[in-house]
Amino acid sequence: MMERLKKRRWGYLLSLVLSVLLAFAIGALILLAAGFDPIRAYGAMIGGAFSNARHVGDFLEYAMVLCLTGLACVLGSRVGIFNVGGEGQLLLGAVVSCQVGVWLNGLSPWLVIPAAALAAMVTGGLYALLPGFLKVKVKVNEVITTIMLNTIAASLCQFLAKGPWKNANKNMVAATERLDPRYWFKTLISGSSLSTAIIAAVVITFLTWYIMQKTSLGFEMKLTGQNPRFAFFSGISTDRLVIVCIVVSGAMCGLVGMFRVYGVEHLYRSSISNQYYFEGLTVAMIARYDPVTVIGLSFFFAILKIGAQGMELSAGVPNQIYLIIQTVIIFFMAAENGIFTSLRTGAMRRRARADIRRKEEQEHV
Amino acid sequence: MFETILKSVFSAGTFNQMLRSATPVALAALGGAMTEHAGIMNIGMDGMILMGAFFGVLGSYLFGSAAAGIAMVLLMGVIVGLFFALFVVKFRSDEFIIGTALNTFALGLTSFLSRSIFGTAGTKGNPALPTVHIPGLDAIPFLGTVLNDNSLFIYLTWLLVLAAWLFVYKTPYGFWLRASGEKPETLRTAGISPEKMKWLASILCGLLCGLAGAHLSLGQLQGTFAEDMANSRGYIAFACVIFSKANPAVAYAAALMFGFFDAIGLRLQDYISSDLTNTIPYIITIVMMVYVVVRSQRRKRHSSKRLPEMQT
Repeated sequence: MMERLKKRRWGYLLSLVLSVLLAFAIGALILLAAGFDPIRAYGAMIGGAFSNARHVGDFLEYAMVLCLTGLACVLGSRVGIFNVGGEGQLLLGAVVSCQVGVWLNGLSPWLVIPAAALAAMVTGGLYALLPGFLKVKVKVNEVITTIMLNTIAASLCQFLAKGPWKNANKNMVAATERLDPRYWFKTLISGSSLSTAIIAAVVITFLTWYIMQKTSLGFEMKLTGQNPRFAFFSGISTDRLVIVCIVVSGAMCGLVGMFRVYGVEHLYRSSISNQYYFEGLTVAMIARYDPVTVIGLSFFFAILKIGAQGMELSAGVPNQIYLIIQTVIIFFMAAENGIFTSLRTGAMRRRARADIRRKEEQEHV
Repeated sequence: MFETILKSVFSAGTFNQMLRSATPVALAALGGAMTEHAGIMNIGMDGMILMGAFFGVLGSYLFGSAAAGIAMVLLMGVIVGLFFALFVVKFRSDEFIIGTALNTFALGLTSFLSRSIFGTAGTKGNPALPTVHIPGLDAIPFLGTVLNDNSLFIYLTWLLVLAAWLFVYKTPYGFWLRASGEKPETLRTAGISPEKMKWLASILCGLLCGLAGAHLSLGQLQGTFAEDMANSRGYIAFACVIFSKANPAVAYAAALMFGFFDAIGLRLQDYISSDLTNTIPYIITIVMMVYVVVRSQRRKRHSSKRLPEMQT
């Protein structure tokens, strides 16, 4: 059993490495077609991530976002519910936690920051409760409802930032009030986005991994996701577990929004998240919803992304090549089984044909 | 005040706007109906629309005519459909993963190409599709304003809805298509490969979604491309497909309903924030999905009461 598991791990690693290499090769072809020098572009990409301490801080912060959102996605998919709505939960968590900080202005940071974190988690969790409830009680496909709720949340946040919670400064079109500097998370590398939020992120990551992999609750979650009927008849209240998981997943996304506000932007505006949850979800997909792999891949993709931004500045290559490479990796990883099977059946068919031909030739002779 | 609001909401302009915003969604929904009948859950329509929008403008920019743009869109539609089918049908990958990845891939590819070809995130003022003027239609007071002088594809969509409906319900191909989704093994026994029908459905979906994108960039916006211009229309189209149970005619009606609420949002802009009215179509989608599921569950319950032996 262990051996088979190990073999599968190595197989996964091999196909991951192959997919990444192929994706970079396809990316190079696209770069060539668009008239860029791929070697220079990739060099600039790696250089962009490590060229100075600021960029290292940036990619660490982005790795944190990817890791938390990716784990939030894993948490849902473990029990068989796909939370695509993390983007909306993140945005709402961000705008509400920011406004809590504005309302409580003047109080001690020891009071304000926990209150804001709680507000972000409650908002994100409640926003995830609706699709969870609809999935469990009415059996409505959660993928569509969460996608719709994303757009609704984005519009709602925009409305709040333009209307009732708008910044008093007229030049700021869609932004809330700026937080008082004493509520900001301390920056760890000056000039970068890396803040003390990463300590909280490490704790959350560890807890999520521990609960999912090392506790009986984690086992019940796995069972519910893989065989809900069996889980139900073994006495697990699957409905409740599914709802709890998606609510916690939403709360994590809300918290990421709060980290972005208190650590980086210090006010709410739409740049708080540029489809970050979807990139986290992509990481979770490539990692096949394995928490440890999610953590590792978050760093890889964060380096790629920050590197691509540096590449755009230094080599003039549009940074969207990063999205192309990332999705090509997904295509290969998702099709891995199918590609191997069709290669094998193709080889078998060829061998069978060759056999027939040989037999025919022998008969002729 | 209330009267003026009502007047502006139910004006000819609103219904014209309804037709405009419904058409791209309707075209994509026709494509989605094909894959839905073939038993593929197609989340990737958004990306397909975006590709159509971009390559339409690119063809129009390169060759200086909208017709070349459409030709390019048709070519790319087939390629995207083949690509989708390669993964979903041939390699049997997870439809949801491939669909999501296709959306992100389309976003990355179109933005990358737009920046490296046009030098900016978007382009405008390329040769666009003509608007159609039907002489004599103006004589009819209300309908004339609503139906006349629209972009070409609005009229083409009507034909395509009819064609899709006939195709799905009145031709043997449509019959096989539906069978490939509902009972693939039965179809295989009848000597027709369900995989082939799935490939066909994917290609048709790629073509129709491409046309939806082309209408968006070359028709509605007169030769404009902007990053992420599909703007979740693919998801709305998917909701229409689910709502209509993949019946092309009902899907068109559902798209019109979305168009109507979109148009109302534009009219009410002066009274409430457009950010709030923008959410209406999405809220309706959720309500619609809940309604569809509850209705089908109730039907199942009734039918099981009547014919218990039919239950599998």
